[in-house]
Amino acid sequence: MPHADVVVIGAGLAGLVAAARLAESGAAVTLVAKGHASTHWGAGGMDVAAPVGSGTPAEGVARLAREDHPYSFLAPDVAPSMAWLLERLEAGGLPYAGNLDTPIRRVPTAIGGTRRVAIVPAAQAAAQRPWDPDELLVVAGPAGFKDFWPAAIADSLGREAVWQGSDRPRHVAGVAVELAGISVRNNLNAVHLANRLDDPALRADDIRRFAAAVKQAAGGRPGRVAVPAVFGLAQHAEVWAELCARLPLEPFEVPLVPPSIPGVRLWRVLRERIRAAGGRVQIGEAVHRIHLEAGRVTAVEMEAATRTQLIRTDALVLATGGIAGGGLVATGDGRIVEPLLNLHVDAPEHEAWLAADALDPSGHPIEAAGVATDAGLRPLPHDGRPAALANVVVAGALLAGQRSLRERCGDGIAVASGWRAANELATQATKMPIGREPHAVRMDP
Amino acid sequence: MSIADIVREAAEERPVSASSDECLKCNVCNTVCPVLRVTDLFAGPKYSGPQAQRFRLAGLQQIQGPFSVNPKSPDHSVDYCSGCGWCTTVCPAGVKIAEMNSQARGRLREGRIPKLRDWGLAQTDLVGTMGVLFSPIANFAFHNRVVRAGFELVLGVHRKAPFPQFSKRTFQSTWKRRQSRRPDGGTTKTRPGPDKAVVYFHGCAANYYEPHVAEAAIWVLKRNGFETIVPEQVCCGLPLISNGLYDDARERACKNGTVFAEYARAGYRIIGTSTSCTHTLKAEYAEMLDMRDDDTAAVAHATWDICEFLLDLHEQGRLDTNFGRLDEDLPYHAPCQLRSHGIGLPALDLFALVPGLRAKDMDHDCCGIAGTYGMKKEKYPIAMKVGEPLFRKVRGSGASVAACDSETCRWQIETATGVRTKHPIEILAEAYRAADKAKGARTAV
Repeated sequence: MPHADVVVIGAGLAGLVAAARLAESGAAVTLVAKGHASTHWGAGGMDVAAPVGSGTPAEGVARLAREDHPYSFLAPDVAPSMAWLLERLEAGGLPYAGNLDTPIRRVPTAIGGTRRVAIVPAAQAAAQRPWDPDELLVVAGPAGFKDFWPAAIADSLGREAVWQGSDRPRHVAGVAVELAGISVRNNLNAVHLANRLDDPALRADDIRRFAAAVKQAAGGRPGRVAVPAVFGLAQHAEVWAELCARLPLEPFEVPLVPPSIPGVRLWRVLRERIRAAGGRVQIGEAVHRIHLEAGRVTAVEMEAATRTQLIRTDALVLATGGIAGGGLVATGDGRIVEPLLNLHVDAPEHEAWLAADALDPSGHPIEAAGVATDAGLRPLPHDGRPAALANVVVAGALLAGQRSLRERCGDGIAVASGWRAANELATQATKMPIGREPHAVRMDP
Repeated sequence: MSIADIVREAAEERPVSASSDECLKCNVCNTVCPVLRVTDLFAGPKYSGPQAQRFRLAGLQQIQGPFSVNPKSPDHSVDYCSGCGWCTTVCPAGVKIAEMNSQARGRLREGRIPKLRDWGLAQTDLVGTMGVLFSPIANFAFHNRVVRAGFELVLGVHRKAPFPQFSKRTFQSTWKRRQSRRPDGGTTKTRPGPDKAVVYFHGCAANYYEPHVAEAAIWVLKRNGFETIVPEQVCCGLPLISNGLYDDARERACKNGTVFAEYARAGYRIIGTSTSCTHTLKAEYAEMLDMRDDDTAAVAHATWDICEFLLDLHEQGRLDTNFGRLDEDLPYHAPCQLRSHGIGLPALDLFALVPGLRAKDMDHDCCGIAGTYGMKKEKYPIAMKVGEPLFRKVRGSGASVAACDSETCRWQIETATGVRTKHPIEILAEAYRAADKAKGARTAV
């Protein structure tokens, strides 16, 4: 009963990958999280490593794999873990394009800027091909949709500076597409649109209107179409195929401000993968205490209405995220703490948290704060001795040494560390047969 | 006290209305809202919740007079919130979105005479009492197409909305009669201690419509060594809260509090068969009605959902697991209120103990009914659309019986699919009976 071989805390990419791999290996896994996580905020692609000066993710990983960075020990797992994940996403109806050797290229954003990517959902892939000088970029979105203004995006993408030296389309046009039967236009958001397009009856007319508007804007010229990333949620594959077939030019999705529809698709496929392999996923139940006995985690206690819920467990994957995810908390007296197990956090002194310039290109020192681990992802106490907690592994943004905003490495670390965390525990589990007698639970004093 | 405790207690002390300060504007809530999934008449939990809350807190309504709603605030659409609670569940920042929206609905109605329809739907005990008293006429009226068309026209209750059959007697009166026939006349002097008895909160559904659910619960409890005490009680008040009638709800809460707190203090556990009633006792008196007295707290901490209680017995090794074989497929829908309990899916864990029973989680967000929401004329089409994927799955399962813990959800599923939908406790009672039957057959041989 509430007994798991492994409890994974955190529903971001690291937690999902760890839980999926453990469930596939036959372990009884329960993933718990206080709410949805980075999947719903991100662009849906896989940022593996794109520090300035690297041409491919593989080059980026090699560049980052220095002493204090998680890639210093995770690097060998990056390629196999990413291949493993993309294979499963494709099997779940969500194909991705690119790999570690794909050139990192600039693609348009929803505010008319550009960002550097290599591995993206297949629906975003057409943006990565180099632009021929005579190609036209049509930016097309539903009229009145606040998160995607075609005219403003087109205006910005028409400026050379936005592309920062990369090749670019010389002609950019924005077109707002009037969709039928939207009753309260000022409330329109990406979820409305994605669900609307999932409906075959509604989308036929919507796609027809998109095709007509793009055809008129293109006027027979060659080019590509940027559309907001709202083309289907549950039915994305069908919706996207239909759009590609009907548009006169090849389309690509541009991810929006949250909620991220590409990220929700990713979350859905991975959740289903975990469940199909016999794992459990419980969202909305924040962990507030972890029970320890003789240096081992024995149970996880979660918030519930008036009481708490206890899950006994043989092992724990801590994938609670960094400061944004709540895995790290900054206290009023200038410390960074890991609130669940009070693990030692590697962080700069309070005075050295921030750079003088808010937009300093080298980032802020506080970004690198996190929990230091050995190569087996077991947390290290302050003096670098072996792990005090024998059955805990750490994964994802909680790991020390990553500066993911600047290095664009968050997804690569999440996937590789989630994968390795599962491997480490699966190795352990062969020593501890799954399904043995549950531990006695003892309350902490 | 750990840091986690400090963080948690700070969150608990913060009133619902001020939790909007925690909103990161990440839009995760909008990705899970079942109502937003099917209609744009609702602005979505984020806009109606934390976003609008800032304007409400700024007192714009007061500026324009106590009874008017600021026309620029999205309050008009908050009435389309069904109160399912998914937004609060997935919020990574701990914003009490659903609770905030419920309070806003209450405020919309403050100082106004409630719509007769909303008032009537909320008076479940009055409707129940009258319905049972005149059950032949009431059952005719509530299931007659002409009368229902009249109801829709005059009251605004949709003609096709699910409505159960009134019982011939209330469960209370049946119980009292049975107790008075006992040799001791049912006096409390002989009542067994809290290790041998539990207190039952039957709620309106079991009292007026489904006494067989109460009987099944009492029978299963007895089989596991627990006598049942059934005190005089009134409606938990949830329908009143949902319809914004907070003062009436508070009156019900006080009545129940006085009666049940005495048992709670004596160590008895309060068991309910309605997940929505038990969640109201556990959380909503404090959270929604702002009742912070000792009685309310004592009742909250003593209250258990029946499946939660049985699973707890099982964990202590005290559950009679001698279930007979039930060779059938059983589609199971976890109601929204169960998720708010934060106790996982105890019914599924119990079903797993029944040999041959192939219970399957339908894994759908909401059946649509959300208490009285889907009964209202203007909300009925939304409710049916919200539940449609669930109905399709239940119909497609080919099963003759489905299971769900919450009464209005059961009625909704049964009406929409034609598949008989039972409370999990009825299924467990059947499994015990199957064991008895098998034993009887063996003895006979």
